[in-house]
Amino acid sequence: MREFTKQELAQYDGRNGAPAFIAYKGKVYDLSSSFLWQKGNHQVLHQAGIDLTAALNTAPHGADLLAKFPVIGIFCE
Amino acid sequence: MAKVTREVVERSGVNVDQLVEMLVKNASAELTTYYYYTILRFNLIGLEGEGIKEIAETARIEDRNHFEALVPRIYELDGKLPRNMNQFHDLSGCPPAYLPDDPTDVKAILNVLVEAERCAVRAYTQICNMTAGKDHRTYDLALAILNEEIEHESWFSEFLGEGPSGHFLRRGETSPFVSKFLR
Repeated sequence: MREFTKQELAQYDGRNGAPAFIAYKGKVYDLSSSFLWQKGNHQVLHQAGIDLTAALNTAPHGADLLAKFPVIGIFCE
Repeated sequence: MAKVTREVVERSGVNVDQLVEMLVKNASAELTTYYYYTILRFNLIGLEGEGIKEIAETARIEDRNHFEALVPRIYELDGKLPRNMNQFHDLSGCPPAYLPDDPTDVKAILNVLVEAERCAVRAYTQICNMTAGKDHRTYDLALAILNEEIEHESWFSEFLGEGPSGHFLRRGETSPFVSKFLR
């Protein structure tokens, strides 16, 4: 499985046609197909291309919502 | 725009531009849900569907009320609705509540309904978290809407066999929590 550094992950922020990838607990998820991640933006507050492990702790939902999206890599901090 | 209103919210530490964007996205979610629920409600027919039609109708009307209640706050905070309805639809804070491929599948319709309500519950919880103790008027509005969205979720959840909703359906007027913002 592909490994992503912080800099590599940042290229997949969903802007300008780029895919929307995020990292969570060491895994990289592809959220490009999600209506709630259009152009890589999620509910105004979050942009794709970063590690959202800490942010998910304060979100009004759990990590279970990530389960329906493909894991496409491993995040190497 | 209510100049001092916006100023005091900004001074409390809330990012008002972000907040307004969230309110617009949720106003879109409410109005589009009202539209999609109209289609869902019409397709709730037969022995299974008829029992759910009334709560779908209540949720539909209350979601429209939520749209009506949100818009004044958007303009008070110097926001506005998009000029283009297509743009407004596409920026919704929740996915479209489309009629399932098989419109006779009542359970599939219920799943669409409950997922829409769950999206709304998350969205208004986020707004309450952002505004609690800072922007009292938006908090009060978001909390009122949240109360109704939670009830909608629990009604549909009960019909899906997930457990008792914990309360009765509406007796009397719709929007018992939000109605104060509609006067």
